Amino acid sequence: MAASKTTTPAAAPRALVLGGNRIPFARAGGKYAHASNQDMLTAALDGLVARYGLQGERIGEVAAGAVLKHSRDFNLTRETVLGSALSAETPAYDLQQACATGLETVVSLSNKIRLGQIESAVAGGVDTTSDAPIAVSDRLRRALLDLSRARSVGQKIAAASKIRPKDLAPATPRTSEPRTGLSMGEHQALTTAQWGITREAQDEIAFASHQNLAAAWAAGFFDDLVTPYRGQSQDGNLRADTSLEKLAGLRPTFGLGLDTPATMTAGNSTPLTDGASTVLLGNDAWATAHGLTPLAVVVDAEAAAVDFVHGVDGLLMAGAFAVPRLLARNGLTLADFDYVEIHEAFASTVLTTLAAWESETFGRERLGLDGAFGTVDRARLNVHGSSLAAGHPFAATGGRIVATISKELHRRRTAEGRPVRALVSICAAGGLGLTAILEAA
Amino acid sequence: MTLPTTLRTVTLPDVPGLGGVYARGAASAGRLAVTRRVGRAPAGLPEVAYEVRGVDVDPTHLTDYQHLLGEPGSDVLPAGFVHVLAFPLATALMARTDFPLSLLGMVHLSNVVTQRRAVRLGEVLDVRAWAQDLRPHRSGTQVDLVTEVSVAGELVWTGTSTYLSKGDSNGESDAGPREEFVAPVPTGQWRLAGDVGRRYAAVSGDRNPIHLSALSAKALGFPRAIAHGMYTAARALADVGAARGEAFDWSVEFAKPVLLPGTVTVRVAADDEGFAFTGWDAKRTRPYLTGRVDPL
Amino acid sequence: MSDTYLNLVNSGFTKKLAKQLGLPQPAPLRRYRPGQPLLEGPTLVLGRGADAEAVAGLLSTTWDLEVHRHATPELRYAAVVVVLTEVTQPTDLSEPVLAAAGALKSLARGGRVVTLSRTATADDAPAVAAARQGVDGLLRSLAKELRGGSTGNGIVLDAAVGVDAPSVVGALRFFLSTRSAFVDGQLLTVSSAAGTLPTSWERPLEGRVAVVTGAARGIGESIADTLARDGATVVAVDMPSAGEHLTTVANRVRGTALQLDVTAEDAGERILEHALARHGRIDIVVHNAGITRDKLLANMTPEKWDPVLAVNIAAQLRINEALLTSGDFADEPRIVSLASTSGIAGNRGQTNYAASKGGVIGMVRATAPLLEAFGGTANAVAPGFIETDMTARIPAVTRQVARRLNSLQQGGQPVDVAETVAFLASPAAGGVVGRVLRVCGQNMVGQ
Repeated sequence: MAASKTTTPAAAPRALVLGGNRIPFARAGGKYAHASNQDMLTAALDGLVARYGLQGERIGEVAAGAVLKHSRDFNLTRETVLGSALSAETPAYDLQQACATGLETVVSLSNKIRLGQIESAVAGGVDTTSDAPIAVSDRLRRALLDLSRARSVGQKIAAASKIRPKDLAPATPRTSEPRTGLSMGEHQALTTAQWGITREAQDEIAFASHQNLAAAWAAGFFDDLVTPYRGQSQDGNLRADTSLEKLAGLRPTFGLGLDTPATMTAGNSTPLTDGASTVLLGNDAWATAHGLTPLAVVVDAEAAAVDFVHGVDGLLMAGAFAVPRLLARNGLTLADFDYVEIHEAFASTVLTTLAAWESETFGRERLGLDGAFGTVDRARLNVHGSSLAAGHPFAATGGRIVATISKELHRRRTAEGRPVRALVSICAAGGLGLTAILEAA
Repeated sequence: MTLPTTLRTVTLPDVPGLGGVYARGAASAGRLAVTRRVGRAPAGLPEVAYEVRGVDVDPTHLTDYQHLLGEPGSDVLPAGFVHVLAFPLATALMARTDFPLSLLGMVHLSNVVTQRRAVRLGEVLDVRAWAQDLRPHRSGTQVDLVTEVSVAGELVWTGTSTYLSKGDSNGESDAGPREEFVAPVPTGQWRLAGDVGRRYAAVSGDRNPIHLSALSAKALGFPRAIAHGMYTAARALADVGAARGEAFDWSVEFAKPVLLPGTVTVRVAADDEGFAFTGWDAKRTRPYLTGRVDPL
Repeated sequence: MSDTYLNLVNSGFTKKLAKQLGLPQPAPLRRYRPGQPLLEGPTLVLGRGADAEAVAGLLSTTWDLEVHRHATPELRYAAVVVVLTEVTQPTDLSEPVLAAAGALKSLARGGRVVTLSRTATADDAPAVAAARQGVDGLLRSLAKELRGGSTGNGIVLDAAVGVDAPSVVGALRFFLSTRSAFVDGQLLTVSSAAGTLPTSWERPLEGRVAVVTGAARGIGESIADTLARDGATVVAVDMPSAGEHLTTVANRVRGTALQLDVTAEDAGERILEHALARHGRIDIVVHNAGITRDKLLANMTPEKWDPVLAVNIAAQLRINEALLTSGDFADEPRIVSLASTSGIAGNRGQTNYAASKGGVIGMVRATAPLLEAFGGTANAVAPGFIETDMTARIPAVTRQVARRLNSLQQGGQPVDVAETVAFLASPAAGGVVGRVLRVCGQNMVGQ
């Protein structure tokens, strides 16, 4: 940006996905059982630095986050940068939007690039359920804080005497929605029943996820997207040999108390997972200067949220609202997308989203359209597998999806020489949904 | 609700403590039994209204209540918190020797609150309470305890709590056959720990033994401790959240006590007028409570 | 990889004991560090004629060394250079060789003996050929007599190659320096005057882009480190499953990591694409990736035979073909391939491995001429016993014996192989074409 001052701003720079790196995702309690969020994020970041030769480079900004975070990780991303091969002068910030964290880091950094505030960025996310933060109970915490504030011996004794033996039991992070007390699975079970999604349809989604991910691994697709860590060289949750029969044999785990038959199993729901991912972003000038091939352009993004607390919509249905708004703004329809990536929190999350888009009633009454929003060609859906097979370390999923589909967009564009587009939709706790459009660069 | 003109208003210097109220209630229950046997039990309600002027709100008390019930920690007093402030006055009435029903073992049947405007921390409250409408119930006698809260002469909050005294029936019943309960689609779930009764007792002052421990509840005929009805009603109100606005009607009927620890499956959802809520036992398909929150 | 025996015989009481018992007494070898002087002590240059004068001039004037033309008794020489390029009959050897003999008695620890001679060919007069070939036997025997970590190596000049040819100068400097610490008893032939001398002997690879396969660990890791130290930009290549170590190496050498199975059909294209896109060029390719699947031939299975051949030689051939046909590997390019002493002398249980490594030797011999037009070379490095994770798995007794079976009586370090690779990859080595240089401490088996 050496240009002299001008009153007419130059055309806004493009925000490009230049590459990505993640560590293989591991099942909770597996190979990363003793790795912290910072350990894993550093491994993913250092792998990115190694792949793209960014040692000592001052990146515009690094943004990442974790959903389950220790209080000591208040500055997780900056601490990660300081421990990485990047220049210590690279600024960083933490971001948190539940399971949408990873994608939101991509979106917000892309916006900064488009505004010309930065030329390069690394987006990322990490989560560990193996090394989840465990806090002291509320009562113990308050008593300890009172104790630390107490001045006189009398005050100290008074504060300490409030502590009861049972207060010493640790408080584990809540896995349920704070406002409803229902777990995500229980919520999705309600939505699944509401939309009448069958067990078979869910198992098919899960099966396809494993098949697609296994094929991508076998083809070496992840050779330049994943760096092994702690002896884990492939996604630990992947079951290349699973079958519809095996999936059909699993016992349902969610929706057991409903009137309708329970359909959600450990096979068509994502398991608890540990992992980290990063995405390298930059504008055209930076990419050229660093000899990097732009893979995809971050075109636009839209977030949505639903009122699941009062049962208006299902907890994980926000994507069904965000996408129609996003596409309308960009003058696009579902048919304009060569790839559709819908995060597989559960197989039925994908299916209820697709069902809502195919529903005339939903289209008219909830989306305000003339009829159904549209249909997604299943052949374009999660082509290299998604969270059911790869696992879902909450904040790391966005980076996994963006890096994977950006590489695929570039491959397709190179092969066919025409514009290629992908739609990404990620649902998140709190009734959140974040969606984005990527286009082959 | 207006104060019946027949009532004499007694102004108390302060909100009475609830500390010994149940012990006194137990004593009065014994006395009632004696007086009833000798045919001198009071036939009507005490012709008195209690009043306390200039009630201040302790911010820490408010915060503790908000945290326990899941209300936002704002300076607006939740409607249930106002109930907590006024409740000792009503209890004091019921603990009077001339109150015709025994305080101990009294069952909270329903509660209706009208919040006319937001009451904020720092406002000085005047509280008045009286009992009215003693009437038969199919399994005893019921009575309404009315409480009013005003700020500088402006009525801001009214509550009517209906209690049942089991077995004190004078024969008639106004209840028809019960409708069969059909569980709606849930929107949430309350997992109530064993200490919820003690924790609500700590913020409400209502230390009725039936809420405190399995042992003390057993002494009064319950298999385990039960949750305060107003705790569950206030949870439902909190679940409605900000959408209730600052002025609303909040009504609840308690069908079955919630044994602790226990899980209440709930639906809190909007309809044409406001919000309806239901809490039920998903295993036995029996309701615990139903109610509404309707913005004014 | 520590060699406990080496430490014991070099310290205190155990040192004395070992001496009395007549046990092998390996000396700790000095290795190269940037900034280190080329030689720490005077150099004796022996031999008559213009070549000897030119070499003495190079050493004293250009390299600023203390050069003696006649041996001073009792003086500790750091190096003895014997220039025998102009011998015409075997008797011509006696004067310079016997002059050297006196100096050897007081050769400094870690001293260097380097001979310069000419290739004996069928076109030579029989006496000339005898004299020239005699140097070969002389040097190999002399190297076996040296102790204290000293080495003896020879440079053999093909016809029409002057002693001032870049590769002769480069090889002389390599053999004199600590970079060749574990190279002993070797004769390196310089075929042409191709190559260029570096501006800086400390960073001869400045501006060059080098690809190293199998770079995540062991010898490959050391090669990446060494090439980067010498100024090259390194593309570190290894299997995707080795990515974690590869990341560490790439970040340390400030290069880039390329996770790639070298046996992939398009491995060459992907290497080219990566190097050109990221670094704008590709100059050096080091084929280091290799595997072993030892088994006596009688018990050999396709599962043990095929992968060894696929990784160790077929992959190299395929990648080279991609490089040679790309048109982008044309600015004094260098291919350095890892052979093995097993491929030269054979090794029980390693028919598959030796076939692949013998194949490497044949491959560089035939590939080098294809690169000559661009000033390019292809050469092989054959390591002997090197202390790596792989050799650490050899049973203890076997390992102790294997270590001592060479003139330096110890195993080499990965960096010894790396230094030799770096020399062959350097611009100065342009006249070394299709050769195999052993890094084995003059292993007793094979040539």
